[in-house]
Amino acid sequence: MKKTGNFVLAEPPREEDEKIEFGPLGFFRLLRRIFAHTKPHAAKRNWLIALVVIRSIQLPLLAWAIAATISGPVAHGNLRGTLWAALGFGALAVFTQACFYFRIRLALELGEEVIFDLRNEVFAHLQRMTARFYDKVKPGRIISRMTSDIEAIRTGIQDVVFISLVQVGQMLVSGLLMLWYNWVLFLVVLAIAPVIWSLNQYFRTRLALTQRQAQESFSRVISTVAESLEGIRVTQGFARQEVNASMFRELVQDHSRYIMGNARTSAVFLPLLELNSQFFIAVLLLLGGYRALNPAIHDPVGSIVQFLFLAALFFDPVRVIGTQYTVALTAMVGAERVFNLLDQPPDWSDPPEAISLPEIAGHVEFRDLFFGYEADRAILRGINFTAEPGQTIALVGHTGSGKTSITNLIAKAYLPSSGLLLIDGIDIRRIRSDSLHRRLGIVHQQNFLFEGNVLENIRFGRPRASDDEVLQAVKKLDYLDMVEAMPDGLLTQVGEGGSGLSVGQRQLICFTRALLADPSILILDEATSSIDAVTEARIQRSLVTLLHGRTSFVIAHRLSTVREADMILVLRQGEIVERGTHRELLSLGGVYRELHNRFIRDDRA
Amino acid sequence: MIQRLLALSWRYRAGCLKVLLLQAVILSFGLFGIGFTGVGVDEIRYFVHATPRPPHLPFHLSFPGEWPPLGVVAVVAGAVLTLAILRAFLDYSYRVELNDLVQTRIVVQLRSDVYEKLNRLSFRFFDANASSTLINRVTSDVQLVRMFIENVVIQTVILIISLAAFLCYMLNLHPALTLACLATTPLLFFRSIAFSAKVAPAYIRNKALVDTMIQRLAENIRGIHVIKAFSQEATVMERFRLANQNVVEQKLRIFREISTFTVSASFLSQVNLVILLGYGGYLVITGSFPLGTGMIAFAGILQQFSAQVGNIANIANSMQESLTGARRVFEVLDTPLEIQTRPDPIRLARARGHVRFEHVWFDHGREPVLRDIDFEVLPGQCVAIVGATGSGKSALMSLIPRFYDPTAGRLLMDGIDLRELELNDLRKNVGLVFQESFLFSTTIAANIAFGHPQATREQIERAARIAAAAEFIERLPKGYDTVLGHSGVGLSGGQRQRLALARAILLDPALLLLDDPTASIDPGTEHEIIAAMDSAMATRTTFIVANRLRMVRRAETIIVLDRGRVSQIGAHEDLMRNPGYYAQAAQLQENEENR
Repeated sequence: MKKTGNFVLAEPPREEDEKIEFGPLGFFRLLRRIFAHTKPHAAKRNWLIALVVIRSIQLPLLAWAIAATISGPVAHGNLRGTLWAALGFGALAVFTQACFYFRIRLALELGEEVIFDLRNEVFAHLQRMTARFYDKVKPGRIISRMTSDIEAIRTGIQDVVFISLVQVGQMLVSGLLMLWYNWVLFLVVLAIAPVIWSLNQYFRTRLALTQRQAQESFSRVISTVAESLEGIRVTQGFARQEVNASMFRELVQDHSRYIMGNARTSAVFLPLLELNSQFFIAVLLLLGGYRALNPAIHDPVGSIVQFLFLAALFFDPVRVIGTQYTVALTAMVGAERVFNLLDQPPDWSDPPEAISLPEIAGHVEFRDLFFGYEADRAILRGINFTAEPGQTIALVGHTGSGKTSITNLIAKAYLPSSGLLLIDGIDIRRIRSDSLHRRLGIVHQQNFLFEGNVLENIRFGRPRASDDEVLQAVKKLDYLDMVEAMPDGLLTQVGEGGSGLSVGQRQLICFTRALLADPSILILDEATSSIDAVTEARIQRSLVTLLHGRTSFVIAHRLSTVREADMILVLRQGEIVERGTHRELLSLGGVYRELHNRFIRDDRA
Repeated sequence: MIQRLLALSWRYRAGCLKVLLLQAVILSFGLFGIGFTGVGVDEIRYFVHATPRPPHLPFHLSFPGEWPPLGVVAVVAGAVLTLAILRAFLDYSYRVELNDLVQTRIVVQLRSDVYEKLNRLSFRFFDANASSTLINRVTSDVQLVRMFIENVVIQTVILIISLAAFLCYMLNLHPALTLACLATTPLLFFRSIAFSAKVAPAYIRNKALVDTMIQRLAENIRGIHVIKAFSQEATVMERFRLANQNVVEQKLRIFREISTFTVSASFLSQVNLVILLGYGGYLVITGSFPLGTGMIAFAGILQQFSAQVGNIANIANSMQESLTGARRVFEVLDTPLEIQTRPDPIRLARARGHVRFEHVWFDHGREPVLRDIDFEVLPGQCVAIVGATGSGKSALMSLIPRFYDPTAGRLLMDGIDLRELELNDLRKNVGLVFQESFLFSTTIAANIAFGHPQATREQIERAARIAAAAEFIERLPKGYDTVLGHSGVGLSGGQRQRLALARAILLDPALLLLDDPTASIDPGTEHEIIAAMDSAMATRTTFIVANRLRMVRRAETIIVLDRGRVSQIGAHEDLMRNPGYYAQAAQLQENEENR
């Protein structure tokens, strides 16, 4: 956290992700698991492996062919031989490129296909997870599983595996060729390889560190910008532009210092690598020259030429594999996170013997029920009540008194910790979720709508409903005039989360969505946002239509809804403290009456 | 756009020149390194076989004949090494200079400029642009502008220099062979350009498809409670699979392009080598071309040459990408400041709070939002504005701190047209509380002192007391030093609004604007904030927008808006006596409570 004056710049979003570290064992376990995901594409994968083997021979062979031509027929003045050799090289090149084409294309395709499967798998898994999972996990985290982490796996498959394999093969083959030509010179090559390797390791670690610092400082920049933009109206309203700008400049300069640190390190590293191979050339000339000129040894000059070409093929992989290793680590971290998500089982699921209810009358009973989101904190304590089919039950109480928990349990988003919840006399645990949800309608407080048009959104309640049925539902709730006033009527486009529509319109659409499902049990969490009085009155009217003939549970914020309920349950700290009709409770002179009076009094103040 | 970017590079010409000079030196050192390697091979061959003529050195130098063979080889090897070491040092300073130029100077400057500009832009701009795309303009789009200088301007010049250097070196050795070996280069050149022209739009499309898919995912996560409640898991899974499928199919088409291009590019460079082997070999055999300094050096240079030509595809790609980024950055920098202080403004340290609307009209470009608004508010008065959704209540409020300017008519503060006032003076005199108050993720104290960072702790606490926030703040474990989560998560709606009120009060403004401050508060807990507002409103001119009439009744004047027009104006009792929106709405709410 960076402090400037008395304004603390936005903190970077904390990645509360599990810190992922794994030894070589974990690495191979992950590798095996990713490999398992290539099974549906086994033909492609096997061809790829064959191509990798072929290519790791071809590449050194090409270099060898050039050197052999130069030091062979060319050096000996054999014109025919030279031409044949050139043609041979050409043929080899064509063959190599053909293999190269398939090697690239198949690897790219394989990577993409594997992550296609993975994405579908993750998405399907997400649908199985229960509400508790979504309480805990931030959407951003799931999204980054699906984006950066899965992308990392893709690069891992497309590049790391196959590039590394080709490089290892190439190193082996060129090493063998050099050994064959001149083992003394090859010893020099062998001596330099570890130097490159350790240089590589040292700088990679340092680069990774500076990179991370730079990234952290960048996320500070991003979160500051994000917050500044979100709060821009406040900033301008309070005339804070200059103060913010000068603080931002400091932040950006700070970030550029980290970037420079990273750049300096790599500015040392890359030239050093290059220097190494030049050093080898100098040694090669000197040592090779000595051995060629010394009559006692008299190495052929050709082997120097061979080494000039082959050594590069031997040194390169050391560097490339080092780079790929870093990429591989990222891929593995991504894989670990994605698999962790996939391995997380839903905290409960329907037991196999659960029954499917074709029809539900709407009799709901809570019997000595306890419930808590966390094991040690009960939200509902000893809840007992019965709702007869067709009744409207109003839930009243302060924030946190347990109203929403009761409706969540009826919707089977959570299971009771103890006690019984019976639907038509059957324990809710023994009812299949999908069959319950088909007979259940919910209107949430946020009035969530999906991107698409109004028609599609209403039809979400019953996808097989015809256009006419949707229209009938709109008419039944009596707001056809409002729909017709929208730019494209029922086909009006709704933005993400329902943007483009007013709160009132959104609420009516959610009512229709629930009405179309024609549920036996209806749950309604009234919106608290203020709506102008005229629209408000219309919503009240539609509400009466919607609730009619169903067992309804209403978390009420409006007096009129409460007054009309067959039973009001007043909750306080997870317990039902009063129950009865509006009249009964008013005359009781308890908590309800106090709530009611304050509501009226504030209005008169 | 390109001209503009070039002009930007020109501003940093000294830095660019330094970087380019360094690169030119590095290149020539590299070439000489290759040349000396060739010399080494030739010398060894000369001494061993004694057949070919003595090799010639660059610049027509030659080794003294009396030197021992191994001494000559050692000198050559030494030269290779020395060049390499020099080159490594130069390379280091090249990289540092380059990064210093682009990262420390260009990027910092651009980011600060864009950020500062964003902070000043008028609300109209933010209405039209989602904040997520604006974040990108300060972060990634600026990087793209940097990319233009680093990857397009500098790389192009380097490409030209190095191709020229390679060409000179090769032509110097053997013109005919050079031309033969480079015969395919134009092909590669055009292929690269064609490739990037084809792939760049494909990538843009890919990005759009991925965005759609992610949007679908994000939406499904946020709406999971609806999906599950309506048992629609299978439907959304199928929809996601389709979006996913679209991404993959398009990606595979791109991959086919990439594979073809990569392969054909590297094949062309191998064709060059075939020509070198055949034709070059012939030349060596006929004795008109040396083996080491000629053929081996050529092979080395050809490799570098094809690497450089292959770079064209990268440059062309970077160009496409950086142009779109640059467009977005300059768009921000070029957006005219719609609302700004005119030169030589009138200063207003402390307003009295006299506000007058004079036949004010306002629109967002289409239909008028406000029509002919004309009224006056005396210092210390309270005015309530009511009306149906979309009647122009918020628009009217937003004209007072000059978030927008009226399209016709004028607004006067203490008798002065707002446009003649120093903007910051005006805004410091106006305290604002919005429907949903944005709090910054910093301490409570810093949030309250947002408008006046130098405020003392006493001032902050006093403001909190007036806003009835002191009590709950002091109950927090860390009190005023409690750091709020992102967007102030962790506080109830009522608490947040009281903090926002304290923030407004700290400035001790002459004018208080309350834009439906209880909108997102549970009616049951509304009373928490009402008392706070009462104490804040005393002694200040107050404008309040509200739907719930209990908030409205306390105003001396009530203005009823109907589709942008003032339809009724007067005190509560007057309005209740006349039929109209106000009486109707009041009646509806009354019924609701008394039935």
